[in-house]
Amino acid sequence: MADTEGSPGSSMHGVTGREPVLAFSVASPTVPTDTTAKFDLPVDSEHKAKKFKLFSFANPHMRTFHLSWISFFTCFVSTFAAAPLVPIIRDNLNLTKGDIGNAGVASVSGSIFSRLAMGAVCDLLGPRYGCAFVIMLSAPTVFCMSFVSDAAGYIAVRFMIGFSLATFVSCQYWMSTMFNTKIIGLVNGTAAGWGNMGGGATQLLMPLLYEIIRRAGSTPFTAWRIAFFIPGWLHVIMGILVLNLGQDLPDGNLGALQKKGDVTKDKFNKILWYAVTNYRTWIFVLLYGYSMGVELSTDNVIAEYFYDRFDLKLHTAGVIAATFGMANLLARPFGGFASDYSARKFGMRGRLWTLWILQTLGGVFCILLGRANSLPFAVTNMIIFSIGAQAACGATFGIIPFVSRRSLGIISGLTGAGGNFGSGLTQLIFFTSSKYSTATGLTYMGFMICACTLPVTLVHFPQWGSMFLPPTKDVVKGSEEHYYAAEWDDDEKLKGMHQNSLKFAENSKSERGRRVASAPTPPNTTPNYV
Amino acid sequence: MAVVEGFLVATLLLSCLASTSYGVTFSSLQKTLVVSASNQQGKVLKGGEGNITITWSYNNSFPAGTDSAYKTVKVKLCYAPISQQDRAWRKTVDNLEKDKTCQHNIVSRPYSPSNNKFTWSVERDVPTATYFIRAYAYNSADEEVAFGQNTDAHKTTNLFQVEAISGRHASLDIASICFSAFSIVSLFGFFFLEKRKAKSAEKK
Repeated sequence: MADTEGSPGSSMHGVTGREPVLAFSVASPTVPTDTTAKFDLPVDSEHKAKKFKLFSFANPHMRTFHLSWISFFTCFVSTFAAAPLVPIIRDNLNLTKGDIGNAGVASVSGSIFSRLAMGAVCDLLGPRYGCAFVIMLSAPTVFCMSFVSDAAGYIAVRFMIGFSLATFVSCQYWMSTMFNTKIIGLVNGTAAGWGNMGGGATQLLMPLLYEIIRRAGSTPFTAWRIAFFIPGWLHVIMGILVLNLGQDLPDGNLGALQKKGDVTKDKFNKILWYAVTNYRTWIFVLLYGYSMGVELSTDNVIAEYFYDRFDLKLHTAGVIAATFGMANLLARPFGGFASDYSARKFGMRGRLWTLWILQTLGGVFCILLGRANSLPFAVTNMIIFSIGAQAACGATFGIIPFVSRRSLGIISGLTGAGGNFGSGLTQLIFFTSSKYSTATGLTYMGFMICACTLPVTLVHFPQWGSMFLPPTKDVVKGSEEHYYAAEWDDDEKLKGMHQNSLKFAENSKSERGRRVASAPTPPNTTPNYV
Repeated sequence: MAVVEGFLVATLLLSCLASTSYGVTFSSLQKTLVVSASNQQGKVLKGGEGNITITWSYNNSFPAGTDSAYKTVKVKLCYAPISQQDRAWRKTVDNLEKDKTCQHNIVSRPYSPSNNKFTWSVERDVPTATYFIRAYAYNSADEEVAFGQNTDAHKTTNLFQVEAISGRHASLDIASICFSAFSIVSLFGFFFLEKRKAKSAEKK
């Protein structure tokens, strides 16, 4: 389709919302295969893969997937690499609790801005260079840890390393150039979840490296600095692999190909306007701050918490902390799956309830985690908390594609930024001052999760209702077409710019749940030339 | 049979007691040891270089026989209140099992009422902080029974400072700069090389 290539939000265009999360492939004739193309996987007319073959490294589609998620994983490893080593670093640099908390806030704040810039970089240079630039330019910041000698330096370096989380954007953008829109939901969800696992893997990796280096004869205050070289080397290695093995598009690289089609780019300020004036955007920004946000905050504090509260050895605390982040392997896809499954029976109402239940469950077990006095209870509560929070992240992105069709890209970006902002805010309030012990901080964070999840009850779609209210009885306003076409003004409708929104509206009727068959066709909404 | 039953009940009761007695409290200990350290006022000890001589002895003004249970003495390096501020991982609590005031062991010696002296060189993993010295006397069950410290009850006098090693090394700094330079150079090198290739391909 002559789509607005590269414009904001175009990476999610075509996502109908009817893709089952676990769709591994889309068969012809739903999407016709281009039989002239010689790729390892069946491809569509744009040469995007129609099939997701997980254990293949074939060029270009699956190779891109693996390069992309491993790069994102590496950036998570380096951003949270300091967290499990804090018991050593705090003694070396004479840190107070405030310094440690501020460093945690700094580590998640940088990426709020770098992710916004990354979208533009991907448009200009392509996702391959976008990823390579971020990962290789942030490698020096990781190596900088060897220079740090006080709290200010520590906070500054963690802030700079945090910029590398912009690889999330290049990862999702790159996937959308390589995979058909009908399976992009699963592909992106898997890539994001597996990247997030880096926050867990680092809690295992860094204490292990530290132990090995110390046993090799180094003193503690030098050993942790040497340990940071490994994430730094991973950055450089992944950057080189991305540059050499990756390509921007299935047919080659951006610079070498001519741009296809008419570039009737959508206007940025229009897209921004419709994102910002939709109240649902802000509710999901808040909610994601308390699912993804608390996941990031917990990545920063949990190893130190177990080390101090239960007098564990450094690497034991790391192993426990790692299980929190590693649950992403299955928990995030599970959240998406649960959202889709509930939508089949109950439509959008099911999705909203699923999100509320998962996120509140996470909140309740966060409260219990803070209050657990024995190690087995603490670990159990932590695991259920992690599943709840991460599944809620997956469930959130089961709903986001329906909030807006025109501004989907920006809303996804804002939601992602909200996650980081929520993390920074939570760490600032509960984990920086000495007023609360970390245990109390975790308990209060749990209460805040439960409170900040309540606004999801206010999300109301006129065509599908909300958690408690039914859809509007008005036949015109209660149609999907009306909701999605409302984002275009009359001039734009005359130009036919809203065609894709109408197609999307048609497909989104699945969100009515079991009522789909009985929905009456509203009069005068379907223009003759569709 | 009744004897066996009685024995089992007794063991059960004793084990309950053993698990509920969760450790000695600091407030229950008597300050029967006199500890002094050779630190000079205003002088900062450097990690890995400085040393401090500690002497400890039994305070004879206590009734005779008070020290009959003492078997070993462990001398420890403890954080002064100023170094515990905003650092909950160094908190003082009465239950000695949970107390985190004294985290560094200096020396462990069998108990003797006098003539105890030890010169300790400050190790390289001691953090920068203000400290005092405390000695605990242990009985044969390895429980604390008495203590002594070179400062007063409020831990304000005779404190000394240790300045830790930085942990930095010139070789680390150089390696760090080299790898960073490699990363940046290879990125931009690749970028410009590809641009040149694309331009020459266009010209053809």
